[in-house]
Amino acid sequence: MRRVVITGMGLVTPIGTGRAMFWERLTAGANGIGPVQSFDTTGYSAHLGAEVKDFDPSEHVRTRPPEALGRGSQLAVAAARMALEDSGVDLTARDRYRIGVSMGTTSGEPQMVERYNDARKAGGLESVSADILPKYPCNVIPSHVAVEFDLHGPCLMIPTACAAGNYAIGYGFDMIRTGRTDMMLAGGADSFSRITYSGFARLGAIAPERCQPFDKHRKGMVPGEGSAMLVLEPLEDAIARGATIYAEVLGYGVSCDAHHMTAAHPQGDGAIRAMAMALKDSRKTTGDVDYISAHGTGTPTNDRVEAIAVRTLFAERAPKIPMSSIKSMIGHTMGAASAIEAVACSLALHTGVIPPTMNFTEPDEGSDLDYVPNQARKTDPQIVLNNAYAFGGNNASLCLARVQ
Amino acid sequence: MSDRVVVTGAGVIASIGAGVEEFERNLFAGCSGVGPSPLMGGNAVAAEVRNFNPQPWLGNKGIRVLDRSARLLSVAAHMALGSTGLSQQEGDGDPDLGLVCGTMFGSVHSITSFDWSGITEGPNYVNPMEFPNTVINSPSGQAAIKHKLRGVNSTISAGLVSGLYAIHYAAEFLRFGRATALMAGGVEELCEESFLSFAKVGVISQRGCPQPFGPDRDGTVLGEGSALWMMETAAGAEARGAKAQLEVCGFGATQDAHDVTAFRVRGEGATSAIRQALRSAGIEPDAIGGIIAGASGSRAGDEMEVHALRNVFGDRLGRIPVCAPKSAYGEAMGASGALGALTAGLALAKGFVPPTAGYHANNAGLMLSSQPQALNKEYALVNCFGCDGNNAALVLKGLN
Repeated sequence: MRRVVITGMGLVTPIGTGRAMFWERLTAGANGIGPVQSFDTTGYSAHLGAEVKDFDPSEHVRTRPPEALGRGSQLAVAAARMALEDSGVDLTARDRYRIGVSMGTTSGEPQMVERYNDARKAGGLESVSADILPKYPCNVIPSHVAVEFDLHGPCLMIPTACAAGNYAIGYGFDMIRTGRTDMMLAGGADSFSRITYSGFARLGAIAPERCQPFDKHRKGMVPGEGSAMLVLEPLEDAIARGATIYAEVLGYGVSCDAHHMTAAHPQGDGAIRAMAMALKDSRKTTGDVDYISAHGTGTPTNDRVEAIAVRTLFAERAPKIPMSSIKSMIGHTMGAASAIEAVACSLALHTGVIPPTMNFTEPDEGSDLDYVPNQARKTDPQIVLNNAYAFGGNNASLCLARVQ
Repeated sequence: MSDRVVVTGAGVIASIGAGVEEFERNLFAGCSGVGPSPLMGGNAVAAEVRNFNPQPWLGNKGIRVLDRSARLLSVAAHMALGSTGLSQQEGDGDPDLGLVCGTMFGSVHSITSFDWSGITEGPNYVNPMEFPNTVINSPSGQAAIKHKLRGVNSTISAGLVSGLYAIHYAAEFLRFGRATALMAGGVEELCEESFLSFAKVGVISQRGCPQPFGPDRDGTVLGEGSALWMMETAAGAEARGAKAQLEVCGFGATQDAHDVTAFRVRGEGATSAIRQALRSAGIEPDAIGGIIAGASGSRAGDEMEVHALRNVFGDRLGRIPVCAPKSAYGEAMGASGALGALTAGLALAKGFVPPTAGYHANNAGLMLSSQPQALNKEYALVNCFGCDGNNAALVLKGLN
């Protein structure tokens, strides 16, 4: 089977757009979290959000009027354009039936549901314009990416909520290593939504002041938005065209808690099995991992369970493996989160620097894990795990490595 | 990666039947589930699962919180598990048993209702118990809890072709050894939001009668339901003594990259998807003994499928029996591919392609019939094409 590498990355995030700006700010501990601006949160029990500000879709959506696309699609097309440019690939010379798009999301285009409801509240069903609901099904997002760049290969959305980015990169990896395609644009996208926001607010899950993953005083997560897209291709092709290789995809694992729709299994059963499957799929062992990009949302329960899972699987080695959550800076970008974190992992492998967990003051009682508190660290990781967990008990871990 | 993937069981609930036996009986009798839709109300016509009550299959426990999609999927999963002796009634459930579910609109009705309560009653009055149903993967997450499915759990959305993608996705996972048994297929519920999505752009049949490939067809009729196969590696099925009924041997998928709301009528992408499916099965077009078409009565979509079939099969097309089952169970969106695959499997097992319900005529030279037609070869082709540019095709082999 073919080896698969990452040769291009594009992102739109609450701390910045494009690979270089994102990485510079991420390793400097930037903050993308602030009061919600895209809708009025008066009457909500929470007010913090991680929104993408000053995003101009017309720079990126060039084949159609940008307003013909929902915000999720706009963010995805922008990330895809930057990823393709970053990879330096010349699409004009390629067989477009051999290039596909694989994406993940939590909510797809939820703003279409919001527009639908606003319209029928204002004027009844008759007043709902015909173009709103057809833009809702989440697979329109990768379809818009395919249309923008004229890509004719497999094109799908894997809407496995907040673990979706890892699922999508994993699928893209499978497609290339089996030879079904020669290149995949893989990643995730989600747009800021009052639906998601009101749900998390009602659950009391949103942090009041800041996002503090793994900190003893953590009080919640912060809903966000964004997109990351990665260019995946066979190692031989990347070498042949002289591409910059950021990282190699070694394998991935997925599992289901089958326990509760929103609460993680208390002993981290599914999380452990996803990490173990990712290592087995990659032909690696727990002894090989030297950085973990945590799911680390900042809620009291999720972070505790993830720490238990890592402590259980890696046993006495666990405290020696640096593990950080970039959600402390960019919030929880939902279906885009693990794709953005896969970019962070790739850049950690490429540059040798791992991003910090910001806002960290003290660990949970009895916790001995290394959360890379408040400062990026030069550690030259060789093999990393990217964790992602979701509603529905869906878990996915992705294993990436520096190319040897 | 070399192991073959086989089908060892199935579950289905659709307008024409609950359970494989009833579905098969009505399908081969040429019955149609298209009719007045109590769910949509008014004069709406659809292939609805009428008087749906999950209780006979799922009991009462934990049903209340499941939305219609989660209930349909959980019922199909209950049947598929029962058909293969893999039900997880005791213990913690199997970490190597999973579920891959295709869907187009997912839980759109739950999402819309949740948002509606927020904007009409205020953000603090949304029901937190309903929030889990707003994620698109909620049906497969709920079915996993209901049936203790701890292995691979994935939701696939590729519009109207989601069901075929889910089957392909499961087959890849089994070949990679990430699971020993996976249920795969799709689910879709009829609801106001999906219905309006099609109705407002004028693609629903005004006569309320889908006539796939018919010369005076005037549009699609929506359907709903869920179909799942139990899929295993051939070696795994043999080891536990399960009978392999079918082999999933070829898949192809393309995207027209043309427009997300219109078919590419000349069918280049659809042609390529069918050719890929044949090539990955390692067979020539000659080996196909029957075609389960994706046609739903759409003027442009059905025309595109004829072009694609003509491109692949040439003059031999007129001698291959074809069934267009969406006149029976409707355009069931994310479940359509799974229902089509199930139909093809039943055809291979029986040695007959089912009739096309309500068939009168076609002017494309296709071998369609209102009666069952003999299927004399080992392989069948399943097509699925969407107006968002997604095309998929699946090749199956009968193992009688």
